[in-house]
Amino acid sequence: MRFRAKIVDLACLNNFSRVINTIAKLAKTCTLRLTVCKLYFILSDKVANGGASMWCELCQGNFFDEFQMEGVAAEHNEIYLELVPENLSRALKTAHSAKALKIKLTNKHCPCLRVAVELPSLSSSSRIVTHDIPVGIIPRRIWNDFREPTVPDFDVSIYLPVLKTMKSVVERMKNLSNFIVIEANLSGEMNLKIETDLVSVTTHFKDLGNPPWASEDGCQSSAQGRDLESMAVARIDIKKLQQLLAGQQVNPTKALCNIVSKRIVHFVLLHEDVSLQYFIPALA
Amino acid sequence: LALRSVNSSRSAYACVFFSSVFFQQYCWAAVAEPCHKEKSSLPCKLRVKAVLPVFRCANVLGRNVEKCSISASPRDHHITFQLLCRHGVVKTYNLTFQECDPLQAVFAKHMCPNILKVHSRLLADVMIHFPTSQEEITLSVTPLKVSFKSYTEEDTDFSRTMVTEIHLSPEEFDYFQVGVDSEVTFCLKELRGLLAFSEATGVPVSIHFDRCGKPIAFSVEDMLLEGSFILATLCEAQKEERSQELCCPRQGGRVCPTVLGSHCTSWCPTGSAEPALWCSTLGTLPGQAAFPGKRHRLKAAKASQIINTPILYHVAPYLCKYCLFQFHSLFFGAVSHKEKDARGHSLQSLATASDTEEELGPVQSSPL
Repeated sequence: MRFRAKIVDLACLNNFSRVINTIAKLAKTCTLRLTVCKLYFILSDKVANGGASMWCELCQGNFFDEFQMEGVAAEHNEIYLELVPENLSRALKTAHSAKALKIKLTNKHCPCLRVAVELPSLSSSSRIVTHDIPVGIIPRRIWNDFREPTVPDFDVSIYLPVLKTMKSVVERMKNLSNFIVIEANLSGEMNLKIETDLVSVTTHFKDLGNPPWASEDGCQSSAQGRDLESMAVARIDIKKLQQLLAGQQVNPTKALCNIVSKRIVHFVLLHEDVSLQYFIPALA
Repeated sequence: LALRSVNSSRSAYACVFFSSVFFQQYCWAAVAEPCHKEKSSLPCKLRVKAVLPVFRCANVLGRNVEKCSISASPRDHHITFQLLCRHGVVKTYNLTFQECDPLQAVFAKHMCPNILKVHSRLLADVMIHFPTSQEEITLSVTPLKVSFKSYTEEDTDFSRTMVTEIHLSPEEFDYFQVGVDSEVTFCLKELRGLLAFSEATGVPVSIHFDRCGKPIAFSVEDMLLEGSFILATLCEAQKEERSQELCCPRQGGRVCPTVLGSHCTSWCPTGSAEPALWCSTLGTLPGQAAFPGKRHRLKAAKASQIINTPILYHVAPYLCKYCLFQFHSLFFGAVSHKEKDARGHSLQSLATASDTEEELGPVQSSPL
C-alpha cells in the first residue's frame, strides 16, 4: 500500500483545506477512501454518530498536482483509512502561505499520514513543518460497510434557501430546542419549526424551487402525482443540521434536500469539485 | 522594580525587571527600622489572582487609563494600585501582601554553550503550528539545523496522538551559537506568556540552554526592562539523579527545591539592594501543575514550602511613594505619548526594539 500526493497551487490548497474543515465539523472520526481518481470521506450510519451518515466525494485531479496510489491489491486498488479529520484540519490550518504540501502514507511506529508543509522563510532554505497524523488501516473484509448510500425514495425534493440565512435561523433555534422540524412541499415552500412547551417558532421560506429528478427506469417516482401543497415532514436533531450548515464556508453551486416523511432527510451540497451528501435520520 | 514568580512544581521561574526610568516617576524612601538592618528592600508576595483583575483587558486599559500609580505601605501590609482613568474615574485597589524571603534563581546564562537569539515573530510563527493544548515541546539543535517537535512520552499511544515537527535553518536566527548538540524538552505552556509579550513589544528573544536536564532560559531585554523565564527541562531517564550534589541545604532562607531529576536550580535570596524584578502574570499562573509534577522522574521536591503559589513582589524601594507609568497595549509596555515628562526621554523607545542586534558575547551576565 502506498500513497503520496502533492499540492503546489495555493488556491487548490485552500480549497482542500476548506473541504477538510467542513468534514471536521461533521464527524469526529471518519473513513477516507482513496482510489486512483477520487477521494471519499465517509461516515457510516452507526449509532455512535446519532445515525447520521455522510458521503463526500472529490476528484483528486482538481486538487493535487501529483497523486500516486497503490491499493492493497491489484484488483482492489483502493485504500481505506480511518482518521480524525480534525487532525488533518489542524495540519492544514497554518498552511495558507505554503509553497508546497505533501501527504504521504507512512508506517513508523504506526500507520500515519505524514503531512509536510513547506513554508517560506526569511532565509534561503524553507521551513518544513511535518505533522504525523495517526490513521487506522481498514481491512478489506469490511469495505462493504462503506458503500455509497443510495438516494432514498423521497417524498419531496426541494432546493435549500440561502445557506447563510438558513444557518442563522437554525442557530437561533438551537438555543430554544434540541429538535427541529423540516417540512417542504413540491411548490417550493419550506418551513423550519421548533416547538417547546413555552414557545414555538416557525420560519417560512418560499419560491425555493424543486429540482427535477429523472427516475432511472423512466417510471414515475413516488413524488409524482403527489399533492403539490402537501408537506413532507421530518423531525431531526437540530445540532446535526447546525453542524452541517456551520461547516459550509463557501456557497455551494447547488444545495438541496430530499425528505422522506418521518424517516430521513437527505442533504446534497454540490460545489464545483466536491459533492457532499449528509443523511440525518428523523426522530419520533 | 521586580516581579518574580515560580510555579507550584518549581519547574518554571519568571522574573521581569523594570528599571526606574520605565516609570514616569519612581521614588522610594528607605524607612529605617531596627529589625530590618541592612535590608533596603521589602520582598513581599501577593496573590496573582488578586493582582490580575487590576490589569485585565489591556486594550481597554490602553484607551481609558491615563495614569497608574502604585504605592506600598509596609506598616499596613498594603499595596495600592490606583488607576486614574478618563472622565475623572479613579479605581483604587488595595491589596494585602505578605512578607517573604525574596526569591531568586541562580542560573548562569553566560555559561550556556548554546545561545540563540531570535525575533519574536519567528517564535510565534513556529509555535502556531502546535496546538494550544500541547504541553511539552522539544528543541533540538546541531550547528546545522534547529527543530521544534511536540513531545510525546514513551508510553504514549502513538495511534492516537498527532506529532508535529518544524525544521528551521540557522540562518533564520539573529544569533546562532551551538556549542553542544542538544535536545531539550520543556513546557510550552509556561512559555506562551513570554512569547505573547515579546510579540506585542517586538523585542527579540534570547534563548540560553545546555544539554537536556539543565534549565533553559528565555529572555527579553530592552533599555527599560528585562524579563526572563527559566524553565526546567526533561532529562533522560538513564541519567542518574544528581540532585543531591547540587542541592544546597536549607539554611535560613536558602531554599533549594529540586527542579529536575538531575539538576537543581537553587534559589538564593538576595539581601542586597539589587533592583527588584517585576514578575508578570504572563501565561500560566502558578498553581497549574507544570509537567514535572506529573512525571515520576521529575517530581519536584516538596521540601520547600516557603514560596508557594502567590506571586512574589519584591519591592526594592521600601516605600514606593509615587510611581506612575502609562499603559500601552500590554500590561508592561508603558509608552504613550500623551504625557510629557521631564525625564521621559527614554520612555518613547520602549515600544521599539532599540537594541542593536549585536552578537551576544559569552559574558552576558545578568543579575537574575
